[in-house]
Order: sequence, then structure tokens, then C-alpha cells
Amino acid sequence: MEDLGKTMQDVARRLLEEGKVDLIVGYEKGTTPIRSTPCFIREAGDVQKLIWDPTCEANLTKYLLDRDERIGVVAKGCDSRSIVVCLAEGQIDRDRVTIIGVPCQGVINRKKIEAELDKQEVVEATVNDEEIKVRGEGFEKVLPTTNYLCDSCLSCRHRNPVIYDFLVGEKVPEVEDANDFAEVEELESRSSEDRWDYFTEELGSCIRCYACRNVCPMCYCKECFVDETMPQWFGKTDDLSDTMIFHIVRAYHLAGRCVDCGACSRACPMEINLRALRKKAEKIVKERFDYEAGTDVEEAPVLGTFKQDDSQEYIIK
Amino acid sequence: MLETLIAEDDKEVPEKGKSGDEWEPKIIAFLCNWCSYAGADLAGISRIQYPPNIRVVRVPCSARVSPYFIIKILQRGWDGVLVSGCHPGDCHYISGNLVARRRFSVLKDILEYVGVEPGRVNFSWISAAEGERFSKVVKEVVMRVKALGPAERLVKGG
Amino acid sequence: MNSKILGKNQLTKFIDEFIGEYRVFAPVKKGKIIGFDEIASGKETCLDFQNTKQPPKSVFFPQTEVLFEYKKGEKGLEKAGSGDRDKILLGMRPCDARALVIFDRFFSSGEHEDLPYLQKRERTAVVGLACNHPLNTCFCTSLGGSPFGSEGMDLKLVDLGDEYLVEILTNKGEKLVEDIKWLRDAEESDLNRARDLAEDAENAMKPKISTDGLCDKLDGMFDDPVWEGIHQKCIGCGVCSFLCPTCWCFDVLDEDTGTGVKRVRIWDTCQFPLFTKQGSGFNPRPSGKERMRQRIMHKFNYYPKDFGEFGCVGCGRCVRECPVNLDIREVIRAVMSV
Repeated sequence: MEDLGKTMQDVARRLLEEGKVDLIVGYEKGTTPIRSTPCFIREAGDVQKLIWDPTCEANLTKYLLDRDERIGVVAKGCDSRSIVVCLAEGQIDRDRVTIIGVPCQGVINRKKIEAELDKQEVVEATVNDEEIKVRGEGFEKVLPTTNYLCDSCLSCRHRNPVIYDFLVGEKVPEVEDANDFAEVEELESRSSEDRWDYFTEELGSCIRCYACRNVCPMCYCKECFVDETMPQWFGKTDDLSDTMIFHIVRAYHLAGRCVDCGACSRACPMEINLRALRKKAEKIVKERFDYEAGTDVEEAPVLGTFKQDDSQEYIIK
Repeated sequence: MLETLIAEDDKEVPEKGKSGDEWEPKIIAFLCNWCSYAGADLAGISRIQYPPNIRVVRVPCSARVSPYFIIKILQRGWDGVLVSGCHPGDCHYISGNLVARRRFSVLKDILEYVGVEPGRVNFSWISAAEGERFSKVVKEVVMRVKALGPAERLVKGG
Repeated sequence: MNSKILGKNQLTKFIDEFIGEYRVFAPVKKGKIIGFDEIASGKETCLDFQNTKQPPKSVFFPQTEVLFEYKKGEKGLEKAGSGDRDKILLGMRPCDARALVIFDRFFSSGEHEDLPYLQKRERTAVVGLACNHPLNTCFCTSLGGSPFGSEGMDLKLVDLGDEYLVEILTNKGEKLVEDIKWLRDAEESDLNRARDLAEDAENAMKPKISTDGLCDKLDGMFDDPVWEGIHQKCIGCGVCSFLCPTCWCFDVLDEDTGTGVKRVRIWDTCQFPLFTKQGSGFNPRPSGKERMRQRIMHKFNYYPKDFGEFGCVGCGRCVRECPVNLDIREVIRAVMSV
């Protein structure tokens, strides 16, 4: 891992020194243990801040939108697919972006570690792909990284970036048959009533902070549907009906666009299982239209196009 | 326009919890102007009977129907929704119904996955010549919704 | 006013003394999160936490509050009612209790008193809980607070190990416990133990960030280039504001209920672009830079200039929960080093 961090720094330094980019967006060490934070570098001398390890969770594609600068961005597998979606939708100019791709074997969900350690606070941590060493007042533990990965990473089928200008490190083997719809299938097997109970319970704690929406690179609308006032479609209070609808419509808006990077689930302060809902939308477009988001820049968006023989079983004919 | 229609009729929405013989479902039907609405018209002209539970909203094309309409209607306590358009290949705007076909399939599945009962949200293709079929489809939809009882899930304030 | 001693195994009994006569709000475990909620019995209380996910402001200032409602066909407006019974808020940390004082000041300032807030807030006694083990993300001592502070509390519980010291701080607090005869009086040894714990906790609060002269320094910094860099990673969500015990901004909306109108207020944040967007379409804070500057200036310059203390109590929730780890302590450091 040390090597990859250094390689990344070298690539970034070269890009800045050669004037190929105005800005590098990568990861640097966070202010609390087991966290990284997005880092913006404009001077070649600052590149040693860049790190690469399983705490590098943020989807940096977000920072490519609405900027005129030429940017060099670090992109994991999922992040690179977000970039493809944004390219396909005309939100990013390919010429302005230099993608520093990096194969990823999963990022940590720090809330899982917090749950494991109960109330013991981590004061210091070192993290790599194999193990997480945590130390705090009166305890020291070594945890296997794979047990604390984000749910989206556990069944990731795109560990290697699908698009890049530079690749930092060697490609890692893909897990072709990872069943990333296992949770959705389990919920599908429950009754309608059970599912209703499950989702009202999960979404009931939402405080409408919109962290999920704002951290998502695909939520780039200048005016979100919840903020529309002419007409006002849905309320902005934490009323259960309005709140559930916010999440239902967001999942619908992301159908065929979400790459399951997990940023929204990690961002949620109330730890709502957003993936359970999002993944269903992904499953529908995969099974019905054989479409996967972010794999082909040329492919038309799945809900913006049609085939003559699209399934219509659900329609009363 | 849609807002006014819903608001005016809201005061007639039956009390929740009432089911059985007294309760009649209230269903909104979006009918595309060129096919389904004309089909409904034909049913009317031909004096073909169909249940009075539907309130019709004429739209230029089934693709005009936004998911927001459907969800908002459920939120307001209406018991069911029907969206009907031209048969694939017959769309007055060439491909509106084909795009809509994909979108509604995704919306319907997401709603049912979250727990909205299957049968509340319905879609059909009805052509201008299918007056008899229109009445059959309406009967089918009313039957489906009636079996589910008054809408409760997703209803605001409920 | 003598301090009392409450055995930890008597905590449930102690809380149950109030249930019924008072409405009691305490930390409760809801799924994965610990937050404040009304309890029906003492055993629902969970005091085994460092701090709750959400601050207790939602007890008096909920995310959604109906201000009044008009129903078609009925005469007049239905105003939201006030509380019926007296309330107890139990388990508040010193930072959150201090923040409550800041909140009170805002909602009762000037000639306009905020009745929905004040009606809930009055007749509430606060039973605080001192912090024996502040987290590394806590920084109350850098902003004039203390892990054993008493501001805003009527009673203060100090965890002595197997027992709690119950410090009586106000008349309201005295009234709460005067009828609970089975509490034994605290002895000198108990008080000493509490003092030692206080000292340990204060010493443990590291690293301290320097805020000397921060307010004055910010005076000349409105156009400083430091703001360019600070906001870059902010995604403009509401996590920091909604979880902040001193953030009080709200939006007022009218909702069409179908049979009338409901006027509601909901939490708002200066980090949303809509916060300052005007009817004409112009927005005086068009980008994240202006909005982040506003947040920092408000907490560390505008508010202290008006009221003599910082508008931040150092609870650390924003530090822990920010999706991109934008750390307000780093912002303060960056400003101080200009």
C-alpha cells in the first residue's frame, strides 16, 4: 500500500509540474483515526499529502462537476463508473479530466468498527488491505479488514477502474459471480406487508439532511425535486410519507445510474440502510434491460431509450 | 390543473377504515388523448357500462404521466391509479409509449418492493377502437383495487 | 443544598419517581443509534454512551413543527398546543446543556418570543450528566466549556463508578429531589472523588485548539483568500447543522393538506443554496465558499460579538458525522494561522 500511495504522488506531481492539470483531487489522512478526507492540491510541492488505503472511501467524482479547471482525479473502480455515467450524461468534459485510476479491494465502513468496539474510542489506527490495527485507552486490537468493509464492497464486481488515463498499481482479480443482490432477494421473498414494515422502520429515522443526495455524484440537479415549489410535489418535513417518497423517488431517479459506490449509505448520520432500496432499482434494470450503469460511455441511458421488444408483462393488454 | 382536480375531489374521499360494501375505491385514470381517451369516449357513445369509480385525466401521451403524479395521488389517499396509452407502434408521438413502458415498469416495481400493494398502480394499452375493452380494463382495475381495501400506505397524515 | 448519592442500580427507580407526573426525555437506544426520546419507564434509559447522535434540541425544537392549521369549513386557526405536564430532560452532557442556554437566548430575544419553543422549554428541568471520558473529537474546553460544566443544568449526575453523585444546582433541581427520601447524602469522599474525576477529564481534553482572539481576528477576514480552500470538499448537506446543538435556523412552509393549509417549520441550514436564494433568483451566497464562511463567521464572530460567547460548544458531532470529514477544528486552526 505504501508503494501505491507513493506512485499516486508521483503521478500527481508529474501532472502538476507538466501543467497537464490545474488541480489534483485525491485523498489525504483524515482528522480522526480510520478516516481519510478529500484533498485538493494545486502545488506540486503538496502531493505528499496524498494517501491510498482502505479508508479512501469518498467518491471524488462529485468534485468534477461544475468546475472549469482541468482536474486530475483519483478514481476507484466504482468512482470510475460514476465518471462514465457523468460523461455519458454530458456533465463532465472528458478533455478536462485526467483520471488516475486505482484498483480497490474495498473500503472500510467505520461504523462497523465502532459497533464492534462498542463504546471504546479508537485513538490511533493503521489500516491496510489485510488488517486494521486499532489502539485506544486500555485496548489494542487487530481486526481483519475484510470483516469491516462497506456492504457495497463485499460484493463488488468492478474493483478495477473501467476508465483511466493512468493506472496506479496492478489490476486486481475481479469477483465475477459476486451476488450483490442477495439482500434485495431476501427482501423480495418477504410479504408486501413485511417489506412495508421494514422500510417504514428504516426510513423513519431520516432527518432530511440530504447527505445521501449531496454526496452522490449522480445527484447533480440544480434544483432537486424536493425543493420545487411550482408545483410543490412533496413536502420537506420529516413526515413519514414525504420522507419515504423522497427516498423512493431518489432510488427511481438513480435507476440505471447508481453504481453502488456506497457513499450515500456511509454518509447517512442515522445509519439508514439505503442500499436495500437503491439496489432494487439496479436489479430491475439489470434483469429487465440487461443494463449496468457506468460501463460504457457510448451506451444510451437505460430509461432514456427503449427497445421494440421491451417486456410488458405488467401491462393490461 | 391536476392539483385542482385532486383538491376538489378530496373532500369526497371516504373515511379510512371503511371497507366492505359501503366503500367504493376512488381511482384516477390517465388516458392518452389519441387512443385511450378516444376509446373511453367510444365506450360512452356506445352506452357500454363501466364502474363509475374512475376520474379521468386526459393527457396528450402516456409519457406525459410523471412518476410524481402517480406517487402524489397515492399520497393523497386515492385508492388506485390507471395509466393507459396507445399500443406500442401506434403512439401519436411515435415513441412516447415505448419510453413510458420502461419507466413505468421500474416505478411499479420499486413501489411494490417498498410495500405499496400490487394492484394499486396499473397500466394498460387501449386503442381508440377498443370501447368494449376499455370497460373491461376499468372493471378489472376496480376489482383489483377493491380487493386491496382503502389506501393506507404512503398516505400522508394517515 | 447537599449533594446526594444515587446507586447505579437505583437509577431506574429514580427515573420512575418522575414518570407520570412529569414527561421524561432521556437517551434511548433506537436500533443502532442512541438519541433522546420520551420514555414511559426508567428502564428504557440508556446512559451508557458518550454522546447521543442527535442533540436534545429536537425535544424543544423538532425537525418538523406545525405552527398552526386551517381546515376548510372550520372557523379560525388551530394553533399547536403547548406541553401539558412539566418535563425532565435527563442525561444531557455539559456541552449540550450549555447549548440550551444559547438556544434559549435566541428564541426569547428581543420583542419576538418564539412561543412554540418557549412553551415546551419552560417547565423543563435539566438533569445533566458529566463527562468522565470525553472523546478525542470533543473540544468544549477550547470554547469556554468544560466536561464537568454545570451551565444550563438543574441537577448534575457524576458517574463515580457504582454510584452517581447528584449535584443540586438550582431551586428547580432542589424541588425535584426533595421528596425522594431514599437518596443518601453525599460524603466528603464522594465529593473528592468527583473533583478528581473532573480534573482527569479536563486534562484529557486534547488537543486543545487556540481560540484566543479568534473573534477579533475574523473581523478583518471577510475577504480573506483562506475561505477559497476551506469549503472545497464541503458537499453542502445539512448534517453539521442538523446535528449541531447550537444551530437553530428554520424554514417556514405552507403545506396544502387537501382540506386546508398547514403552516410548518422545519430545520434549515445556511449550507443549502436555497437558504439565501431570493425571489428574484439572485443569491447573495451563491457558492459553498460564501456559505462556509457564513457558518464560521456566525459561530465565531457574529454571535460572540453580540452575546459574548462562541456559538459553538465543542460537542464534536459535526467532526464525527461530516460525510467528508470537514473538521471545524481544522478550520479554526486555518483561520488562526492566517
